[in-house]
Amino acid sequence: MNRRDFLKAGAAVPALSLLPEALLAETTIQENKNKFPNALQPKMDGDVKVFELFIDIHQQEIVPAFKFHTLAFNNQVPGPEIRVQQGDKVRVIFKNKTELNHTIHWHGLYVPWRMDGVPYVTQMPVMPGQEFVYEFVAEPYGTHFYHCHWGTLLHMQSGMYGSFIVENADDPIKKQFPYEREYTLLYSAHDTNFIRNELNGMLERMKERMYLTKKGRFDKERFAVFDTKDEFAEAVKNGYQPPYVVNRRAPSDLPQPNWFTVNGKSYPFTPNLYIKEGESIRVRLINGGTEEHYLHLHGHDFWLVADDGVPVPQPWQQNTLRLSPGKTLDIIIEGKNRGIWTFHDHDTRRVTNNGLYPGGNLLALVYEDMPAEEAGLGMMAKKMGLNSLPIVALDE
Amino acid sequence: MLRSKWFLILFVVFIGAGGPTLFAQVSPEIQLGARGVMSFNTDVAEHKATSAVNDFSDTGLLLGFRQKLYNNFRGQLVIGMQFPDANSDLGQVFFHQTFLKIEDKSNILKMGRSRVRSALIEFPTLRDDDALYFTDVLNPFSSGEKTEDNQYGNVLELAHVFGQRTWLRVHGEHFTETPVFPATTETDFSLNAVGFSLQYRVPETQIWNRPFLQQIGIGFNNFLTDRPGYTSRTDKMLKNVSFSTVLNLRPDPVHFWDFRMQGIYNAGFKEIENVAAFGELARAKATAGFASLRYLYRKLERPTLQLALSFGYKTFPDLLHSTDQLQVVANSFYRLGENFDAGFQVQYSRNTGDLAGLFGESETRFQFGLVYAIDRSWNRQFSDRNSLLNLEHGYIP
Repeated sequence: MNRRDFLKAGAAVPALSLLPEALLAETTIQENKNKFPNALQPKMDGDVKVFELFIDIHQQEIVPAFKFHTLAFNNQVPGPEIRVQQGDKVRVIFKNKTELNHTIHWHGLYVPWRMDGVPYVTQMPVMPGQEFVYEFVAEPYGTHFYHCHWGTLLHMQSGMYGSFIVENADDPIKKQFPYEREYTLLYSAHDTNFIRNELNGMLERMKERMYLTKKGRFDKERFAVFDTKDEFAEAVKNGYQPPYVVNRRAPSDLPQPNWFTVNGKSYPFTPNLYIKEGESIRVRLINGGTEEHYLHLHGHDFWLVADDGVPVPQPWQQNTLRLSPGKTLDIIIEGKNRGIWTFHDHDTRRVTNNGLYPGGNLLALVYEDMPAEEAGLGMMAKKMGLNSLPIVALDE
Repeated sequence: MLRSKWFLILFVVFIGAGGPTLFAQVSPEIQLGARGVMSFNTDVAEHKATSAVNDFSDTGLLLGFRQKLYNNFRGQLVIGMQFPDANSDLGQVFFHQTFLKIEDKSNILKMGRSRVRSALIEFPTLRDDDALYFTDVLNPFSSGEKTEDNQYGNVLELAHVFGQRTWLRVHGEHFTETPVFPATTETDFSLNAVGFSLQYRVPETQIWNRPFLQQIGIGFNNFLTDRPGYTSRTDKMLKNVSFSTVLNLRPDPVHFWDFRMQGIYNAGFKEIENVAAFGELARAKATAGFASLRYLYRKLERPTLQLALSFGYKTFPDLLHSTDQLQVVANSFYRLGENFDAGFQVQYSRNTGDLAGLFGESETRFQFGLVYAIDRSWNRQFSDRNSLLNLEHGYIP
């Protein structure tokens, strides 16, 4: 096998996929496409785009040899991308296949308030086995996302988030920065020990509650659901112990994330961004987790073009941005500096896997038209028996 | 012997020289279990009352460490100490649990000092040994002075779990021999009992969606005794067969009722026709049964009030004098707060024949007590075998 064949065939050993030559291999580029959320294809009902989402418990392998139980829309974390045109009539049929309660909140979308997905405010929770139909018109255009709004702290970091992109034929961003390719990156942080403990606890409690619900024996105090604040306060005066008091169920430790994912994977299995010289790409960044991320791109200043889906009046350049929980930011990267560049959280505590560096929110911007010679071997790498230099530091 | 010495030396050298300094250790899961039982007891026997103001036997502390191992295994060390019964000669503290366990999804190997498999199920009594003569296969090597002889021993146990709920256990034990033989003849770790059990049992986490049969099991305990006058190993073996079941009469999360029973048949030795000591009691042919009816009221997803009524009966058909034992236990526990209960128990025992001489004709014991029990883990890294995620959504090692 000559050098070209090697590049075409891709890396035979998974570890080699970290190396520049492997990143340029055709098979690696093709596989990388699967690391972005698949768009969910709608069925048409007249002029309504109908999407079907279900939620179930799933095992997510963040990196090889580490799995945890997640709540996954359509058996994937993050959930599938929903992509529509501005003004489209949208219907989402949501089926709950778990033994937990859920709702879906459409984060950043102008939905009718009854469709907003806040339990006991805009709707009753979607209980085990139930189905709920959300209907709205897709407004405004831009980068948004959806997530569960029941037990949000647990359910979101367990995987219940997905991108919701509303396109506009007259998108000013596309006019200002013509681009063909775009990528969606969903960030999250997971305390897998918290998730496991809380999911187990909730599943146990829900088995009991569903038994009572089926028998028509809803109990306000047991379910911790009251009609009014006064009723709740009165119950406490009469000896009711809410779940958050230490003589009942609290304190439960607040989560301390130990895994950080991009599109449900941690480095070295995070997706990479591919670009060509002279090309501009759009990257939609969504933070579906609880941690702030300070994302830094090496070797480039990118354009910040949209904030919370709203185009900024005057795009400006930077190389590090702050992606807060619940935020969406859109950036344009211009292919002006050929190479392989890391794009990572500069709070390097989040560039770890279970406390070990490197890992977490680390990925690469790869110029796919880079000549193979430029990704060539270093003498030291040859001595180490590698096919090229590693692109990141090892943990020692 | 020489070989094991060398191994020990190498082991010490390796640990001493390399272990702690070369590698950082992954912190284990740390488990703490504690149970404090304090009671005021009044015994009325043959119209005479005696009382103990402060009985805190069964109070104990368990410390556990668990860690993930290679190849989907887990390892665990448990060290436990207990305040023993009064007059047990066990000292102030008794190390009732000191064992190592290694397990994967389907197999569990346990070695060390632990609870012996002398009972298939537990019963709702204030203390574990309140109905010991009915609920446990008795230790024929014991002088009977301490109930711990029947409950704890040096254990070697291998369990295999079929489909999450069917447990096959093969176990060998060294039951305590009292009085202790001279050190020259006593080898603490030799097996003097072997047995196996097969049980179907629904994990506690799934109690609400498994309506009726909660547990059913059968067990065999065989003691390798020094039966005088016999040379064959089979003849010297004291055989016991146990059967148990737990039924959810009303698996309601608020008003829960269950029924449990266990029967033990001791094949005994035919030459035991009189019982004047505990050793003979354990070796006499006997059939024992114990059953409990329990009501549990759970207010806010926590047990609030428990009432239980238990009945035990034991008969000895081969004894020259008609002999039987009977026990009735009624108790209630009320939760004062998280982990903390107040309890009241009345226990009536009646003995006839030879046992009237050994234990007295009858006794009624009144106990009022407080129980504080905690079970907490830190630095958790994996789910328990019986967590709902592992049971119903795929096991993650």
